[in-house]
Amino acid sequence: MPGGMDLKGDVLNNSICALCGACLDWCPYIKNLEDHLVLRFDCNVEHGRCYSVCPRTFTDWQMISEHYLPDTPKNLEIGPYINVYQVKANREVDGKQDGGTVTTLLKTALEAEFVEKVLLTSSDDHVVPQAILTADVNEVEKAAGSRFLSSPGLRKVIDAQLSGLEKMAVVGRPCQVQALRKLDYNNRPENHKVDVLSIGLFCMWSLKWDFKDYLETQFPNEEILRLAIPPNGFEVVTDQQVGNLPFEKVKEYISSGCHYCLDMTSELADISVGALETTPGWNTVIIRSQKGQELFDKAVELNYLVKKGYPEAELDRLKQASLVKKARAIKVMEEAFANGMKPFVDLAQPDYVQVMKLTEGVVK
Amino acid sequence: MEWMITANEPNKTYLMQGNEAIARGAIEAGVSFAAAYPGSPSSEILTMLGNVSEEAGLYAEWSTNESCSLGACLGASFAKVRSLCIMKQNGLLVVGDVLHSASLSGVKGGLVLVVGDDPSAHSSTNEFDSRHQARSAALPMLEPATMQEAKDMVKWGFDLSEQLQQLVMVRSVTRISHGRSNVKLGEIPEESIKPTPIGEWDRMVAINWFKAAQLNKLDQAREIFENSPFNWYVGPVDAELLIITCGTGWFYSQEAVEALDLKESVGILKLGCTWPLPEKLITKHLEKAKRVLVVEEVDPFLEQNIAQIIAYNPHLNLELLGRQGQGIISRSGELNPDIVRNALINITNKLPVEIEKVEIPADEMVVLPARDLTFCAGCPHRASFFILKQTLRIHEGQGVVMGDIGCYTMGGQRAGHYLYNYLGCMGAGISAGEGLGQLERFGFDQPVIALAGDSTFFHSCIPALINAKYHDSNMLFVILDNSATAMTGFQPHPGIGLTAMGKTTEPISIKNIVESIGCHVTVANPFEIEETTETVYSLLKKPGLKVLILEQECATLAVRKSEKRKVWVDPDLCRGDDCGCGRFCSRVWGCPGNIWDDETGKAVIDEVVCVGCGVCATLCPAGAIKVEGGEAIG
Repeated sequence: MPGGMDLKGDVLNNSICALCGACLDWCPYIKNLEDHLVLRFDCNVEHGRCYSVCPRTFTDWQMISEHYLPDTPKNLEIGPYINVYQVKANREVDGKQDGGTVTTLLKTALEAEFVEKVLLTSSDDHVVPQAILTADVNEVEKAAGSRFLSSPGLRKVIDAQLSGLEKMAVVGRPCQVQALRKLDYNNRPENHKVDVLSIGLFCMWSLKWDFKDYLETQFPNEEILRLAIPPNGFEVVTDQQVGNLPFEKVKEYISSGCHYCLDMTSELADISVGALETTPGWNTVIIRSQKGQELFDKAVELNYLVKKGYPEAELDRLKQASLVKKARAIKVMEEAFANGMKPFVDLAQPDYVQVMKLTEGVVK
Repeated sequence: MEWMITANEPNKTYLMQGNEAIARGAIEAGVSFAAAYPGSPSSEILTMLGNVSEEAGLYAEWSTNESCSLGACLGASFAKVRSLCIMKQNGLLVVGDVLHSASLSGVKGGLVLVVGDDPSAHSSTNEFDSRHQARSAALPMLEPATMQEAKDMVKWGFDLSEQLQQLVMVRSVTRISHGRSNVKLGEIPEESIKPTPIGEWDRMVAINWFKAAQLNKLDQAREIFENSPFNWYVGPVDAELLIITCGTGWFYSQEAVEALDLKESVGILKLGCTWPLPEKLITKHLEKAKRVLVVEEVDPFLEQNIAQIIAYNPHLNLELLGRQGQGIISRSGELNPDIVRNALINITNKLPVEIEKVEIPADEMVVLPARDLTFCAGCPHRASFFILKQTLRIHEGQGVVMGDIGCYTMGGQRAGHYLYNYLGCMGAGISAGEGLGQLERFGFDQPVIALAGDSTFFHSCIPALINAKYHDSNMLFVILDNSATAMTGFQPHPGIGLTAMGKTTEPISIKNIVESIGCHVTVANPFEIEETTETVYSLLKKPGLKVLILEQECATLAVRKSEKRKVWVDPDLCRGDDCGCGRFCSRVWGCPGNIWDDETGKAVIDEVVCVGCGVCATLCPAGAIKVEGGEAIG
């Protein structure tokens, strides 16, 4: 497995870093500030943990999926799954995005002692994200709500590992769930292993930190309370108004690494959670593993979550959206690889060929 | 060793360093006023004069820069006291305008300017040959070949200066300034010269009307030099091979002639007066020679001027050899006995006389390890360069760094992660930065950082900072304030609060100066690596001129003041060569206190050199470096 200089050459210099944070905080060479992640000094290690855990270094995702979700029925569009539900929290969660499902699942995981601690992203100002590793349900509730700026939350995994934690839940974007699986798969035998229950988020992209400056120009001297993407645009709730930003403008701030992402629904997670576009206030939940099913069932049993069957038409929409994201990323990768970027996904793999076939004429 | 400078023991012989001999010569001449800016190899002279100032009844100052020092000496000279100005070769370029003006205005009290040249640039960025300035400014120049001459020439230089009413230059070089040999002392005048009132119609004015007088003084100097005892000849009367040399070349040439057993056939003309050249004396020797080898430090200055003499005297028919003529001696670099001997072998085909060699047994041979030029253990500059390097990488805007002159010049090398894109002379960094910072209007979007130390700030950055502020250049000016002129040996500067004579005075605050120009100043501690990195990062994102003072005392000074804390490595925690470290402390941080134990494969602290700053403990990813009493920095 290559080392830090290869990470720099193959990932960082190509601006395909997903800013998951898996490589951080163990290594003194890799440094992050805001959304910059760089090799601050040249590393001399030939075989690096960084390269082995990165979701943007070459990975056989089908093999990883088979390894972690062997008994789950396959699905080309949204990945392996056991069940899909529409869900919402049974009581109001402050700051929640849509159904408050993630907060509720974490609360369940802690209270029912599925895990000792949970790793998630919080924010002091509803904009700038920061990772927290906590066993405190109150802290989890305070952290409710989506963050749109990319943040390397997985940097805290190393804290959990070094502190000898046995079990933890991690909330992550699809790239982070991928990295969690690689962290586990490539963990060196001499290093302590933490049993991770992964709660994957639906994600189209995350935004560069320059977006923060743009927000300030658009809503000067206003306190941002909430950012959201309802079907009709990019909503900004401040202490003075509910504003809207043109979607095309917001898209200019999409992190460069996100264009290479094949995963909208966190296909490797134990359980995935996202918005349900047609029914505001509700979430979509995709259950992918036995562990995920157990957590979900417990939350329902404790009456923390209300579930309903998932409408067929809605599932079709979800699958189509996921397929389109994959096809777009494949196009971007095809072009980049043709221009000399070192391939980090085998695009000849039958699933990807199939994706392109199904989206022919849809994605340009 | 200052007692030798003031010992009233005429005719007694002492082993003296060249710089001591120079200081002694000035005291024997009754010098009342001395001013200098430090720079190797000249720095010790004013330090010594400052230390004996009370006893010798003289005034000594470390001036803010070389222009200030020469200007001050000119003022003292106006009142007819004798003044000595000292600087290194770079300083002579700083002072160019003052020097050329002084040559036009002339002087009243004797004024001797000693320049320490640094052939091979051991402690400099270049090996500029100061004789060009003497020629350009039409000033007489003397070049000592021995420590005795160093003393005698300085002393005589004052007499000559007063006789000609002209400034006299003395060129020393590293091997003269820092070498030692016997010096026979002369008398010390009972009283130094007191100032003479300046009359209503007394003038010292630099204006071109005085050009004729200036040239006339040069002609007078030439006549005096024709018979100067500082020039002499040894060898056969009719030598066909003649060596013409000056300074260190005299000893090297003598040694080479002896080693090759050429005393019977080769003559040596040793010149102590190297500008203006004693043309008659030289011509007399050229007439007999068929080949002439010129041996001199740095540039072919004598050689080219001798070529000029030959050109004006068609009857001379000879071959001129040297740094230029046939490239017998290389075009740059310091001389040594081997170079001169090889040049002579080359010309004469004569093999050296066998010298009995002393064999050193292999087990007694000491092989010196190769060493980088680096910062001292605990040096705040190491932290500053670490911060700047990582911030520029984090910023990802391909920042450009303008360096400057001081200890931190080494930041352009491995010790500072090769940070510099530009390095010029003192004060050049900020001006170059100012220029780049104006190019935003044409689409130049790389951040620009200029650096300067505290002493350099006072020396030559203030007008440049005013320029940058007035024109709102888009740059970050970083002042590396370690409260010391450390590179040259801790001479006080205006921020320190101490004079060359050991008196306390009110220090001048850099921060106040910068603020008074109207700049917003941020002050940060380079030992707080992460905090200061964020500070630099946020400053880089701001438009316009930003000034940052990175404040932390020079470790060499700090360690003298307080008990040093023990720092050690816990080998059980040290990751060593493995992933997640790769010897980060010794390989990347690179402090001489962080070393590597090949046997155990772990990092260790070299307790002898570690000063206990504790910065490495904050950088160790495994927390393996422990500091007595916790990890507080400083």
